Amino acid sequence: MERKNFLKSLMIGAISTPVLLHACKKDDDTVTLDSDDTQATNTGSSTSGCNVAPTETEGPFPTKQPASYVRSDITDGRTGYKLTAQITITNTNSSCAALSGALVDIWHCDAEGNYSEYGGSGMQSTNYQSVHFLRGRQTTDANGLVTFTSIFPGWYTGRATHIHVHVYNSAGKSLKVTQIAFPEGSGSALALVNGYDKGMSNYTYNKSDNIFSDDTAGIQIATVTGSKADGFELAITFGVPA
Amino acid sequence: MNTKTIRLCYRKIIDASATKAWDRQVFDDSYMEYRMQVQNFVQAEQYPLYSDLLQHNPDVARINHMVSGAVIGYLQQLNNIMPDVLNALGRRFLKFNEFKFEIINSHLDNKDKHRISITFYSEPVYWLDTIGQNLLLTGTDQQTDTMLTDLLPLTPYLSIYSLQNQ
Repeated sequence: MERKNFLKSLMIGAISTPVLLHACKKDDDTVTLDSDDTQATNTGSSTSGCNVAPTETEGPFPTKQPASYVRSDITDGRTGYKLTAQITITNTNSSCAALSGALVDIWHCDAEGNYSEYGGSGMQSTNYQSVHFLRGRQTTDANGLVTFTSIFPGWYTGRATHIHVHVYNSAGKSLKVTQIAFPEGSGSALALVNGYDKGMSNYTYNKSDNIFSDDTAGIQIATVTGSKADGFELAITFGVPA
Repeated sequence: MNTKTIRLCYRKIIDASATKAWDRQVFDDSYMEYRMQVQNFVQAEQYPLYSDLLQHNPDVARINHMVSGAVIGYLQQLNNIMPDVLNALGRRFLKFNEFKFEIINSHLDNKDKHRISITFYSEPVYWLDTIGQNLLLTGTDQQTDTMLTDLLPLTPYLSIYSLQNQ
């Protein structure tokens, strides 16, 4: 009887080997990337004017987990073309002045179209890694700006490529639930990424998307520049009534 | 030896009466996250009490999973050792490898109504014997004729989650 075995088995101080559990079986995260430096054209245009962002469903995959996931880089090792997202929040109740101190949650799917942690309320493993990928929360600065580092999202059947956004005031009161759409067309970042390994067959474009099709003014369509080699930069401004 | 392999579970309830720092932080942060996330659901303002909302909108049960993230950072601090569950010598000793977070009740505007539970599920252990109100336990890697054991007093909210006959 080895005492150290016993300690290993039960006691404080034991070194346990964490079991790697993934959020879901589909989340193997294997896509092929290339280093094409063709710059995206058809980059979308930021809309001017003081508009209230359209309200959208928060979808079946809401963000969670604040304390340990308040962070700017939400990549968590997911494979994909780098995407830097700059989201500016303005206050439509104050002539669209920058809104500082607002909490901004974003979440989106990985290159293969899968979300992290949309499971039920069953038991969760104590392995805390790899289940919160591509979700984050930041607080807007004096210019109303938050910046996230992530990957260019993939897509899944029935939806155009999108990023979920939920804006709260500093006390946690919901100000707006919305989504970011991507510019489309020849040379656009969307076309360059070309749906990663999945391609664009059966892709749902914005005009056919049940969330974005009513956004004829393009308020929800971000400006997206850059290349696969250098990464893409996304910028968008949302007005919220604060 | 007629050994059984069991997994124990312990349900820790935290509410407004919490005083210990860890409990208090879990209480505060889970309430903040509850308030933020519950606003994703329809009728959240109409039925500010969670139990009422759940009755009118069963979909809101998803919020258990959504809010659980608020406590994960605190669970990590436990280093996989169950809180509160002490052996006969008064030490924490039982390792857990899974947990379940549940909102018992809460309220959009009244923090005093916030009440949660975290259930901890232990790794498998051998249940060797029962001595009075105590379970005699040892690790599953114990194979020799002399083994080191822990005596676990049975206390409220502590139970046997699963049992496997050898």
